[in-house]
Amino acid sequence: MEILDGYLSAVKRCLPRKQRKDIVAELREDLLSQLEARAEQLGRPLTDAEQYAVLMQHGDPMVVARRYCPNRRSLSLGWELIGPELFPAYLFVLGLNLAITVAVIPISLVIYQAPITVQPFILPVAAQIVCVTAVFILLNLVRLKFPQQWIYPPAELASVIPLQRWYSVSGLVACSVLTLWWLAIPYFQFLVLGPSAGELKLAPVWHRYYIPVLLLFLAGIGQRAVAVVRPDWTWLLPTSRFLISGVGAIVMFFFRTHPLVVVNASAKDLAHAEELARSTNAWMGWGLFGPWLWIYLAIGALFYAWYSRPYLRRFLQGRRNQIRPVHELNGVL
Amino acid sequence: MANGSQGAPEILENLKMELRRGCLIVAVLAQLRTEQYGYTLRKALADDGLAIDEGTLYPLLRRLETQGLLVSQWREEDKRNKRFYRLSTAGEQILTQLLEEWQDINTSLNRMLQEV
Repeated sequence: MEILDGYLSAVKRCLPRKQRKDIVAELREDLLSQLEARAEQLGRPLTDAEQYAVLMQHGDPMVVARRYCPNRRSLSLGWELIGPELFPAYLFVLGLNLAITVAVIPISLVIYQAPITVQPFILPVAAQIVCVTAVFILLNLVRLKFPQQWIYPPAELASVIPLQRWYSVSGLVACSVLTLWWLAIPYFQFLVLGPSAGELKLAPVWHRYYIPVLLLFLAGIGQRAVAVVRPDWTWLLPTSRFLISGVGAIVMFFFRTHPLVVVNASAKDLAHAEELARSTNAWMGWGLFGPWLWIYLAIGALFYAWYSRPYLRRFLQGRRNQIRPVHELNGVL
Repeated sequence: MANGSQGAPEILENLKMELRRGCLIVAVLAQLRTEQYGYTLRKALADDGLAIDEGTLYPLLRRLETQGLLVSQWREEDKRNKRFYRLSTAGEQILTQLLEEWQDINTSLNRMLQEV
């Protein structure tokens, strides 16, 4: 009953706290009755795929749970922008982002000895609201268009669903292209510097961070290559990406604190080259290698940490052998 | 398209859903004159032609219980704990009134349809 337990855990997470135990007990009873009825109809025990099909028919855990919530708020402007299923998650993510923003800005103002005024808050707060709302509107559209498809299944169910090979192969191709680009940079600096390559060159900081970043790329290739061969090793993706994203976030955080380019000694016009170096460092520090990169990686690490939880729990309980991926489920998601 | 945002089939579906919503409450109350648990209640409704998905039924049962129209009790049956629901005294009175209302609406509609 690992699949049923996983499904119920996913529902439970979104239920009102006070009623969780009671609702889950009742849902469990109903689903067990359905599974038994289906087994009786077929005259044999159900396969994991058949169990999963019954749960899929029951509905997305988040949607099922929200039906028990008395407060079904949503965001709409004549038409539904963010439905009641996603609205609590939207409020949570937006609240978390705004709290982090409002906490970090005064700290950075103090560090840079700048006066604390309202102005530095306006743009980041507005950007957070716009970005988070846009992402959730997009997610809502996807949910309306494909109500039964989860790009990522609930973490509790992910362990029984093998990775689709197309997903691993496309990731492998993308990661290989990025790695080749990184490998070529020392020989063809214009791949980073563009037309300024004659007047500028990469700063010494690249020597310190080049190999760690390369190793992270290679780890990404390794994870995807293994996933192509062993899609049933469902633990590999969340655990390895948690490590890769976590280390990547730390590396990128420190990488961008240094000047990334310096003037090439052979530059003809040194004054112009210095100006170019200043603007290129600003562009790289806030663009290509800007804070978005380490924030994106840190959020990725948190996301995959969430998906690693069931494996860690099993590992701690010594139940490693009980993870049984269901090959018939390939393509279900 | 019947209007700017909805097609005729979609409008029909929405109207059918609205029509069913009220009827389902009466049907659930009527079925629970005898004690049942969720799964058997759902089967009984489906057998009588009023299929309802579990995602709608269980929140509805909870709401009706909160309103005092149903009472429930966890009890073991076939080695499993099940929650049994039945009409409360208040629920019986409300059901009687709802059925009277239903008869009145039915009579009125029949009269209107015959006139047409």
